[in-house]
Amino acid sequence: MRRALAALLLALPALSATAQWQFGTPVEVAPARPGVFHHLDASGRQALAVSGDQVALVWEDNRSGQPGCWLGIKPRGGDRFRESGFGRGECFGPGIAALDGGRFALIWEDADGVAAALAGPEGVGPARRLAPEGGQGALAWHPGLGLVAAWSQPEGRRQRIHRVPLAVEGGGLRRLAAAEPADPAPPADDQLHPALAAHAAGVTLAWEDRRLGHTVIYASTSRDGSSWSPAARLSRNPTGRAQNDLGRGTGAMRPALAAFGARLAAVWLDKRDFLSGYDVYAALSDDGGMTFGPDLKAQDSFGDAIAQWHAAVAGNARGELAIAWDDERDGTADVWLTWRLPDGGYADNRAPAAGPGSQTDPVVALDAAGDLHLAWIERDAAGASRLRYAVGRRKVE
Amino acid sequence: MRHLFLWLLLFCAPALADPPAGYDFVDHDTGLARARAESKPVLLYFGRYGCAWCEHTNRKTFGDPEIRRIYTEHYVLVYVDAEGGRRLRLPSGERITEAELGARLGAYATPLFVFLTPEGRQVAKIPGFKTVEDFKAYDRYVRGRHYERQGLMEFLEGRP
Repeated sequence: MRRALAALLLALPALSATAQWQFGTPVEVAPARPGVFHHLDASGRQALAVSGDQVALVWEDNRSGQPGCWLGIKPRGGDRFRESGFGRGECFGPGIAALDGGRFALIWEDADGVAAALAGPEGVGPARRLAPEGGQGALAWHPGLGLVAAWSQPEGRRQRIHRVPLAVEGGGLRRLAAAEPADPAPPADDQLHPALAAHAAGVTLAWEDRRLGHTVIYASTSRDGSSWSPAARLSRNPTGRAQNDLGRGTGAMRPALAAFGARLAAVWLDKRDFLSGYDVYAALSDDGGMTFGPDLKAQDSFGDAIAQWHAAVAGNARGELAIAWDDERDGTADVWLTWRLPDGGYADNRAPAAGPGSQTDPVVALDAAGDLHLAWIERDAAGASRLRYAVGRRKVE
Repeated sequence: MRHLFLWLLLFCAPALADPPAGYDFVDHDTGLARARAESKPVLLYFGRYGCAWCEHTNRKTFGDPEIRRIYTEHYVLVYVDAEGGRRLRLPSGERITEAELGARLGAYATPLFVFLTPEGRQVAKIPGFKTVEDFKAYDRYVRGRHYERQGLMEFLEGRP
């Protein structure tokens, strides 16, 4: 059936939308060095952000002999990122959110637990400690409600998502309240990998939740920054025992969120088709994150027979939405991209980063002008990694 | 004191997702260190939380006493949670998460079984449900070091 569909699509004239963005020559953010491994593994894949005239990227690499966190920042028109290190001791999973006026907030896990700080062209500000243990931090900044941080921390033998509101004051961050669990009910199983997004109606938090005996996506929304809606299931990957009374359900993992126009998109990796690896699924909310519509596969049919990894999403106030991931449909791992079409569907997939070796772990940000910022990891056959960045200029229609 | 230890073991230890009962599965880094120290090959079980075919394999294959004896005596057993966020260290020194290991292995289905030498070199990768006889053949391939001369499929095609 898949082959027949692929043949049919090949035989058709080019019905797909033209590519939305024209990508320029990639910039090397961090070069390949022997024994150095680069990682873009922010929770919610929020490692790239644009604020005012500044573009900022956070990543982890072990250039100093242990995992360390790095901020690269540059003016939008510049071609070199200026680096600043942050975190104490071993540092993992740095994430970023755009504030206003060329400023950013960072979150990370290090030797002292979970921490956050402000950052800008001048570098990284003082760290605000959020939790003595935990990781997988995520942030969202709302112009009216302020900054919200979320992370996963151990509680007994479980991991539990916590969140806290933060105020941006001068060059630092201040807690506005004590950290609280995302779901007040005692966790029946692990809660992991939170993602946050600010939108016109407030802030939405999504996370992986294993309470049903398999991994599904849950979400909660705040309209005022202090009270949150009850945790509700977002993904509809099947729950229940399969044939012969086996298993507990298929998996959905690594949620990512982005606001676009007045709407909100949730994207994740979904294994409801359990024979061909994870697929990229998306669901949209028209009511500010309180409910989500049907979840749909965002990749095209040419990616159906293979696994997709590292799904990331970006949106902007113009109502544009882009989804990126990597897969090996062309034999080696490339970064693939789709975007939401005016008719509500998703565009045929394009590969903005492809070629020899592997191009993986995309992170994306859409700016107010509609340009798409993309960073990814390139690995050669010998396993050496480098960090790359490119801008897709929006085509004039 | 002993009761306290058992309580801590049961309620405070990080939960492994779904390894088969009655086997000494350990986490990735512990297992690879143990394999080097004991010069034993590794059976790495890459399983997903709630996975139906993992449960089927646990019942039908790992429930067999002979498989339990062979793999408990001769292998270091490592369980990796396919959707897990715990970090592990690859033989190259790179630190990645359990789920990222799936991307590196090209895992498209669970369970996925990976055999490693005591030094951590991958010698076979086998997706999906496999029978008791399959696992006995894998054992002959790995402990007989046939991977030094032929691939697993080539070995299996020539088996009696």
